[in-house]
Order: sequence, then C-alpha cells, then structure tokens
Amino acid sequence: MSGDEVNPAAVAKPVEDLQGDDRWMSQHTRFVQECKDAEPDVLFVGDSMIQLMRQNEVWRELFSPLHALNFGIGGDNTCNVLWRLQNGELDNIRPKVVVLWVGTNNHPHTAEQVAGGIHAIVQLLMSRIPKAKIVVLGLLPRGERPNPLREKNAAVNEILSDSLPRLGRAQLLDVSREFVHSDGAISPQDMFDFLHLTQTGYRTLAKPLSDLLLQILEEKPEERPVSLV
Amino acid sequence: MSAEDSNPAATPTLREDTEGDARWMSLHNRFVSDSKDKEPDVLFVGDSLIQLLHQFGIWRQLFSPLHALNFGVGGDATQHVLWRLSNGELDNISPKVVVLWVGTFNYAHTPEQICGGIMAIVQVIKNKLPNSRTLVLGLLPRGKSPNLRRERNAAVNKLVQEAVASLPHASFLNVDPGFVHSNGSISHQDMYDYLHLTPQGFQAVCEPLHAHLKSMLEKPAEN
Repeated sequence: MSGDEVNPAAVAKPVEDLQGDDRWMSQHTRFVQECKDAEPDVLFVGDSMIQLMRQNEVWRELFSPLHALNFGIGGDNTCNVLWRLQNGELDNIRPKVVVLWVGTNNHPHTAEQVAGGIHAIVQLLMSRIPKAKIVVLGLLPRGERPNPLREKNAAVNEILSDSLPRLGRAQLLDVSREFVHSDGAISPQDMFDFLHLTQTGYRTLAKPLSDLLLQILEEKPEERPVSLV
Repeated sequence: MSAEDSNPAATPTLREDTEGDARWMSLHNRFVSDSKDKEPDVLFVGDSLIQLLHQFGIWRQLFSPLHALNFGVGGDATQHVLWRLSNGELDNISPKVVVLWVGTFNYAHTPEQICGGIMAIVQVIKNKLPNSRTLVLGLLPRGKSPNLRRERNAAVNKLVQEAVASLPHASFLNVDPGFVHSNGSISHQDMYDYLHLTPQGFQAVCEPLHAHLKSMLEKPAEN
C-alpha cells in the first residue's frame, strides 16, 4: 500500500510537558485507569473535538446512554493518539465500536501523511479489538473563510473515504458540508472560534453519529460483514 | 512607563497565524464589529477560560441578563489581550464593568512580568473607558498534582492583589472555590484537563462572581 519510508504522522509519540504541570500525562493515566474499571460499548478517542463533546449536552443525551468512554485530549495529533492507544488505553476493554476523530492538529504533515496516520490508528484498533467496528469522523473545515487548512482537511477526508472501507470494519462519517455556508463562511454559531464546535455545532454532528452508532450496536453478529483476515 | 517596553508580557503583541486559517484575527475582527453594534454593561475579556464560559448554560443563566459581551480567545497571554484592547475592541462601548481573566498562558514570563502585563491592561481600559471599573480575577490553580505552574499563578495573584489595592478603578477577586483538595489534587470533575473548567467547575466559580458583579453594578460609577 504505502512506501517503505517512515510516515512521521504514523510514529507514536507522547506529548512533552512544556507547560510544567504534566497535564497530558495526568489525563492519559486517568484513561488507563478507566480501562481497568469500565466496560464501555463505545470508545471515543481523539483530540479536543472529542474531548469537548464530553462537556456538552449531547454527551449526556445521546452518548452516555450507550455506555461510552471519552479519551479525547486537546491538541493531540495522530502520533499522540497512537502512543496513548499503544500504552494502556486499550487494555482490558472490548468496545463494540470505536469513534476516532483526529488529524486537524497534524500541522507539520501533508494530507497523505495525516491519512496514513489515521490508517495506522485504525489498523492498531482492528488488531487489538478484533470484533470492533470503527467510525472515523471526517476532519471538519476550519477558519472563518476558505483557507489552505480547509483544503488539506478535505483532502484527508477524500483519501479516507476511498481507503477506509477497504479495511472491512471501518467507515468514514463526514458531516463537513453542514458547516460551510454558500458564501464559504463558517458561522461562530457553529464553531465559536472557527474550529471548536458550539452546542449547536455538536448537535449537527451528533444526530447522524448517534444514528450510525445505534445501527451498529443493534446489528446481530450474523449481519456483520465478514472481514477478510 | 518605559518599564513596559522591556516587559514582553506588557508589550501589545498580535498572534501570528502560524496554522494557516487566520482564526485569531477573525475573532478579533468580530469583537471589534460587536463593539460597534452592541452596548454591553459588562465586558468579559481574557483567554480560554473566559471564552469557554460563553459556551455553557451558565452564561445564558447568569451573565446574559447583565447585558454582557464575551471577548475571550483561547490561548491568549497578557500581551495578546493588550493588543486586542488597544486595537478596537474597546471602541464605541462603555461597559460599567470589565471582567479581566488572563495570565495562565504566559508560559515564558515571570510572575512580576505577568503582573506587569495585567496592570498594563488595567491601564489601557482606564484610558479608553474612564467610567468603567475593572475586576481582575485571580488565576486558578492547574495540573492534577502540585506543580510549578500552580506556584507561578499564586505568585501572580499576590502581586496583582497588591498592585490593584491602591487603585479606585480596579479590584481583584479570588474566584477559586477550593479546587485543590486536601491531598493536593484537582479533580477532573472540576477541570476536565486540569486547566479548563467543566460546567460544574464554572458553576462553583460563577455563582460568587455573579453576586460580586451584581453588587458592583448596583453601586454608582466612580470617577
């Protein structure tokens, strides 16, 4: 599939404590502990887009009832999520679905590299939790007006929409088009800082996501497509 | 006041668009535009702690009724807030109170420099809004366990509290309801990442803040 060159977006890396209060490691440690205590059916993992979801009403209304855990950390890129999942955040749990949302913070990497990083995470998930379905959320557009980051995120989604389904148990859910108006603008009513979602923004995403999760959770084992292993 | 020139925390500095989507400037422009259209009685200004406050129900519940505007930007340090307020965000408005909450993101600066930055902001507000009073909120502790950053923030609070004591147009409010438990830890129920407040954390901070604001608003303005 990909060349033999190392993709920097697929190299597991923890976040250094540059601020002096060790918050990233504290959050990771807490998640590892949660794996020992909880039995989630759905695991949400990713960056601040996942993390902030936990603080919004949609979590209590739509996702908490599904027995979900939230392992989002603000600022994380694919390397950081990969490291966390390799270092305890998948131990002792057997979720039926994993929701993955990461990639918008991969600033040094190209769209191809970011997609490759997301792939590496999906492959790790599939090998560690053989029966889980994986829902990858498309990277949302960002910034008030059209800009290179929107193009890059769209390019990542484009690659994933083609390559993810071939992995058998993974799919892309992309709600990007809901957020850009006809004049190309993103509204602060949807993204309060033109990146992070408001309550309204989360509702726009949560409805199709929740519908998809319910559908997956209700599937009987014989209805699931047989994956080619 | 030439000391400010050599204090990077007190030198107005805009944030460069290193990511490529110009979000900081978009937010600043929107706030400048809000200043033209709106007539707030209370202006909240600062970093992500102010910005996030606007996203939870508590804003609508406690602060919207006070006719409040929110000019918070995540990640802003004192020099960034200073730039924003010096470049349009205070034009055309005359709030009775400005609530200022900034300083926890000044990673490269000493407590003295951060205090200098906060006091420079207080001075800009006084210059542009001679009839407003500024309420400076104390920096909260952060991190799960005791750490340097908590000591740094506590040192800033002490300096600011002293500096503001002699000013008729500004005051200091400690809004920490006791987030640090007896074992030195902060709970993720209050700060989901040991820095940013959860809705529960905001509730504990905002109830006393709201009460204090209301009493300030009921007093006549000082000149």
